[in-house]
Amino acid sequence: MPEGTESAGERKTATVWDNFLRISMREAGVAIALVIIVLFFSATAPYFATPENFLKIFVQIAINTVLAAGMTFVILTGGIDLSVGSVLALCTVVGATIMVREDLSPWMSIPLALLACMATGAACGAINGWVCEKWKLPSFIVTLGMLNVASGLARVVSDNSTITGLPQPFVDFGNQIYFGVLPSIFLIAIIVILIGWFILRFTVFGRFVFAIGTNEEAVRLSGHNPRIFKIAVFTISGLTAGIAAMVFLLRLNVGSPIAGIGYELNAIAAVIIGGTSLSGGKGSIIGTLVGACILQVLATGLQLLGAEDNVKPIVIGTVIVLAVVLDTYRNRYLRKLEAR
Amino acid sequence: MTSFSSDGRSLSGVSRRRLLLAGAAGSLVLVSGIAPVFAAGKKPKVGLVMKSLANEFFKQMQAGAEKYAEENKDKFDFKAVGMKDERDFAAQVDAVENFVTQKYDIIVVAPADSKAMVTPLAKAVKAGVAVINIDVELDQEAKKKAGIDLAFFGPDNREGALLAGNALAKELGEGGKVVILEGNPEADNAQQRKKGFDDAVAAGKLQLLDSKTAHWETEEANTLMTNFLTKYNDIQGVMAANDSMALGVVKALDSAGLSGKIKVVGFDNIPAVQPLIKDGKMLATVEQYGAQMAAMGIEYGLRQMAGETFTGWVKTDIKLITAADL
Repeated sequence: MPEGTESAGERKTATVWDNFLRISMREAGVAIALVIIVLFFSATAPYFATPENFLKIFVQIAINTVLAAGMTFVILTGGIDLSVGSVLALCTVVGATIMVREDLSPWMSIPLALLACMATGAACGAINGWVCEKWKLPSFIVTLGMLNVASGLARVVSDNSTITGLPQPFVDFGNQIYFGVLPSIFLIAIIVILIGWFILRFTVFGRFVFAIGTNEEAVRLSGHNPRIFKIAVFTISGLTAGIAAMVFLLRLNVGSPIAGIGYELNAIAAVIIGGTSLSGGKGSIIGTLVGACILQVLATGLQLLGAEDNVKPIVIGTVIVLAVVLDTYRNRYLRKLEAR
Repeated sequence: MTSFSSDGRSLSGVSRRRLLLAGAAGSLVLVSGIAPVFAAGKKPKVGLVMKSLANEFFKQMQAGAEKYAEENKDKFDFKAVGMKDERDFAAQVDAVENFVTQKYDIIVVAPADSKAMVTPLAKAVKAGVAVINIDVELDQEAKKKAGIDLAFFGPDNREGALLAGNALAKELGEGGKVVILEGNPEADNAQQRKKGFDDAVAAGKLQLLDSKTAHWETEEANTLMTNFLTKYNDIQGVMAANDSMALGVVKALDSAGLSGKIKVVGFDNIPAVQPLIKDGKMLATVEQYGAQMAAMGIEYGLRQMAGETFTGWVKTDIKLITAADL
């Protein structure tokens, strides 16, 4: 439709349409991509569109979703947390060590392990944040250091061995599927996402996370101390690594110093595919959930399709880059919409 | 999304986006052409789950299994998967679960972790899959706890390491000074091989200077060996828990002008070490017939489906390889 010849009525429809576009570009864009990918595999990959397969995918995305939820907070402030994988490993051995103790009843040891996992993770995260802020260091370097420290600690705590023999009620809970569609560990992941969503969306803290990512200097000049918030987001990331460790224990029933290798990159990929900008200030945790889904659906779908092992990383890598490329187009388009 | 074009002004922006999406879909379609193998007949479906394909040993295993599957195309359908990272047992769990979803009849597995893999494999067993454990034995106690009794088809790693260690001891004589390069400390076969080397040290009255892990890796072994050479000036022999590490050791000795003077033994008999053994840069390695192991696993799986039961440890062959064998 040529410019300047619109009637009032048409302008109104255009506004509704604009709003629809704005939403679909911002929030639903990745969700649409996910739907397309799911439809593609449903049509082509045998056994993909079965209830068992979807249940399995729900189970398989849980760990990464929880990690990526915390990662979203860090990336929103413009930081990065490379330590989550090995912090997860450390927490799994801490949690498992507590749970296999014979002198504690399961009803004591399970909550204790949960607390210990969360405390260990949060402590690692708090150290990350504090070191970054205290000496004004890039989080890339500090968390890279923590990656190695936590990995070494995990080996020390576990004495280089895989810890098995978790209490039966714990194992049973991990296998639980509610209403035939909702595996317990997926439920945990969803709860973590919802809490994260609530914090980012409806709390002052959440608004500060976005504000710091957009313009940290402005936050400082307006009389607020960004340091505390930045330490807090790393603590949150560590905390979710601790929760992810419990999810890992529920899913695999073992604590291991070699758990979580490369998980930080999967978490970052989920966040980025979900539309959160690596430079901070823009993004959503719901997008992160969808991003995690896309990664796992691709991995599972490709395997069911019979793709070669070596082809999988090629496709997944391409999709990650493609997501970021799409993001730049989306931003340009959104700016054009806003400008009108 | 396709109805975007009704809004003329956004056309340019949208078409670029659609182009990219189409590109994404296109690349997926390309991949789909690769190998959708799913015959509808009554042939059993056999899945092989290995560790890292970056490891030469598993490449041989895959090649052997695929050759066997090709020769028996009329008897079963076959698919093999490996991991990106040897230590990523969560990825191996995913692979097992995917085979169960695809209703595979037999899963032959070389566990990445002898304890962690028990739970998912027990689930597969309960889903009616014949599970065959090769290469690394699943943890006895964990198996008992999970309520499954699986036979183990694989080599005696301790015995193999002892063979290699004895060959070194014979070459050096009593009092020979040696170092050991261990595999991943948490890996079961690494622990077994370490024990085998220790047995050889005791039996041959060797003097063990040091024993450290290089995590199965060539580059790390190279660094570790260089450090050993700096620290000890009288090393006479090296025992490496796999050939990838032995390669790194030989390179370090080359750089120091010591290759051939310090004797090296490895494990796995990968193609890359064979010329080194011929040239005398390495003394010996141990063949554990990875190619046959997987094929044998499949065969036992088919027999189990036909009603046979196996228990305990079915030992597979190991053989010391020296220059005389090549």
